[in-house]
Amino acid sequence: MTANIPVLVILLPLCSALPCLALTKVNRHLGNAVVKIACLGSFVLSVIQLTEVVKNGPIHYAIGNYAVPYGIELVIDSLNAVLLVAFSLIGILTLIFAGNFGDRKRPMMIAAANAEIALLITGLLGMTSTGDVFNLYVFLEITSLSAYCLISLGGSRGVVSAYRYMLVGTIAATFYLLGIGILYGATGTLNMGDMAKILNEGGHDNAMLVAMCFLIPAFGIKMALFPFHGWQPSAYAHAEPGSRPLITGVMGKVPALAMFRFFFCIYGTDFRFVRLSLILLGVFSVIGMLYGSIMAMGQSDIRKILAYSSVAQIGYISLGFAIGTPISLAGAFLHMLGHAFMKGGLFFCTGAIRYKYGTADIDNFGRIYKKMPLTCGLLVIASLSMIGIPPTVGFFSKWYLALGAAGRHEWIYIAVLVISSLLNAVYFFKLIEKVFIRQSAGLKERWKSEEFELPVSIILPVVVCFLAILGLGLFNVRIIDILLMTLEGVGL
Amino acid sequence: MRRAITIILLIVSITVPFIAFDVLPAIGDPASAPNTHVSDYYIEHAIEECNSPNMVTAVIVDYRAFDTMFETTVMFLAGLSVVIILANRPKSRIPAPASLKRLRDTSGNPVYRTVNKDVMISIIEPVILIYAMYVLFHGEISLGGGFQAGALIGMTYLLDIMVVGRKRPIFNLPKDNSAALAGIGPFIYALTGFISIIGGGLYLEYNKMPLPVHQAELHSLGITAVEIGVTIGVAGTIITILNALMERISFDDDND
Repeated sequence: MTANIPVLVILLPLCSALPCLALTKVNRHLGNAVVKIACLGSFVLSVIQLTEVVKNGPIHYAIGNYAVPYGIELVIDSLNAVLLVAFSLIGILTLIFAGNFGDRKRPMMIAAANAEIALLITGLLGMTSTGDVFNLYVFLEITSLSAYCLISLGGSRGVVSAYRYMLVGTIAATFYLLGIGILYGATGTLNMGDMAKILNEGGHDNAMLVAMCFLIPAFGIKMALFPFHGWQPSAYAHAEPGSRPLITGVMGKVPALAMFRFFFCIYGTDFRFVRLSLILLGVFSVIGMLYGSIMAMGQSDIRKILAYSSVAQIGYISLGFAIGTPISLAGAFLHMLGHAFMKGGLFFCTGAIRYKYGTADIDNFGRIYKKMPLTCGLLVIASLSMIGIPPTVGFFSKWYLALGAAGRHEWIYIAVLVISSLLNAVYFFKLIEKVFIRQSAGLKERWKSEEFELPVSIILPVVVCFLAILGLGLFNVRIIDILLMTLEGVGL
Repeated sequence: MRRAITIILLIVSITVPFIAFDVLPAIGDPASAPNTHVSDYYIEHAIEECNSPNMVTAVIVDYRAFDTMFETTVMFLAGLSVVIILANRPKSRIPAPASLKRLRDTSGNPVYRTVNKDVMISIIEPVILIYAMYVLFHGEISLGGGFQAGALIGMTYLLDIMVVGRKRPIFNLPKDNSAALAGIGPFIYALTGFISIIGGGLYLEYNKMPLPVHQAELHSLGITAVEIGVTIGVAGTIITILNALMERISFDDDND
């Protein structure tokens, strides 16, 4: 059974989501309980898998036991093993959290929304662990479709932003398909390792260049990298509140991982135009880091602030790719992990505040810390981490990015890193000021309850994110070591 | 004018790379990479390894069965999304515009009113259903397969709805049930993979299934089970989408 862990991590959420509606017909709580238990199981298995990978090296899992270029393969190295743990953790937390949002009188609707979240988790985990370029496309489809649906559940603004995202996202998927079509035409294989081997024999430079021209916008749109980010702020701000942490925290990171796979694992550094494409990526991320921060300063809706700040934060990740040394790549992946918890955590906070008071305008947040100490604790620690203040994870990821940039003498990147952090400080300190110093706006609670602060199902994700941000910061050396097990030898 | 420039720019920027760099192999070129790297293996080993004379089926539901499982899930996901997006909005009937009503008076009877509906349902539908079963179970031998069979079954239901006869339809599925059914289909697919895990193999490794039949027959059984799952999933999805739309749409001849 232990040999099957890589596939079980993906299949457990899937196999609970598919019969969820049928089980809900049997008993109105059964479907949701099964989905939660299965996602928890997937998280536990991904932790076991991480220890296996750290001990014994990468796992190659051939589905149907067919030899490599003929069947589909899942490849778990130390890189995506770590990411799988983080993503499945945010997935299960989101499922627990989402139970508080939804019409309790319509159990089928709740079951359907839970099934959508579980399918989104399936797609994200699958994209993270697959080693086959077409399989990645199939998972991309599942991720996008469930995301469109979850965004459109957030009211009439949600429908409009989901429609926009759908139009743009379909173009991204088509571009991805065109890109891998060209690569398939050149190599005749869909397996990532096999494709890398054939491409490195040389003679495919033109095909690789054209494919890269399609792949950069494809992943750029999906991760909301700067010039392709148009769909993102409204989609993140108006998504269904229960599933928002998963959408904002994880959905942008997984295409970034796929981009890393294409840039560094498949194309490799021998590719003739590698400098050119990395400089292009660097320009995009530098402009994105500044633009996202400046746009975020002008907003007063906390959801819009966080959405624009995501444009900047994705810029940090792609900046790590653009620098391209192992240490900066490790920094980018640490930022990916950290930002998943930061942004997910901040959206847990906004969801909690919305659940209790029904507002998302930061001008109403005056002295809210007296009523919601835990939520505000996470709000503060996540904001400090976004700015990059030790001992939170945000400081260390930026530190490794700067180390990598210094190693390649890219002084412009370091300057932009510092400026962007200062801009982050401007709007996050504004948020902290509103929470602690501003006069209370006298908000009324929406529900009368006896619990402490909030229901346990909201407190739990908040506390876990708080601990994760601190823990990732304190144990960053260990995590960087695990990441470098794969990243040594990759990169410039 | 600005719109025209944008469109021209888009077309040029997408077509130029293909023409300028000549990256795609010629159609039907036997020496091109896709036709030499893996295709030979599939052609030579499909019958021996998968016991399936239809190579396309062998590739779709045996060599790359994992992809097909998620493609079926995409079908389910699409149906589910349509249902919950449409159910999430308040129920409001959109009245037909007056211009359309005036038009209807002059356009005469719709063609379908001339069809004898009772005969239609009693004779044609069972034939379609039998054909669907044929397509389903012969999928691994000849042309066909789960997607087509599911579409045929969905078509039967669509006929029932569209052509309202005096008789009861062959089967009746409300919205919730059909969505649940659409989920059960891919679930059967996924369970088939789990059976081979129980037998000690890897996921979807059909010849490790613990069933008392010959090794070669196991692949056929696995493919058939998977195709049944696909059929149920596709049929359920088509019916779900139809049901979801029917709840929101008012036809202009509702007083029929």
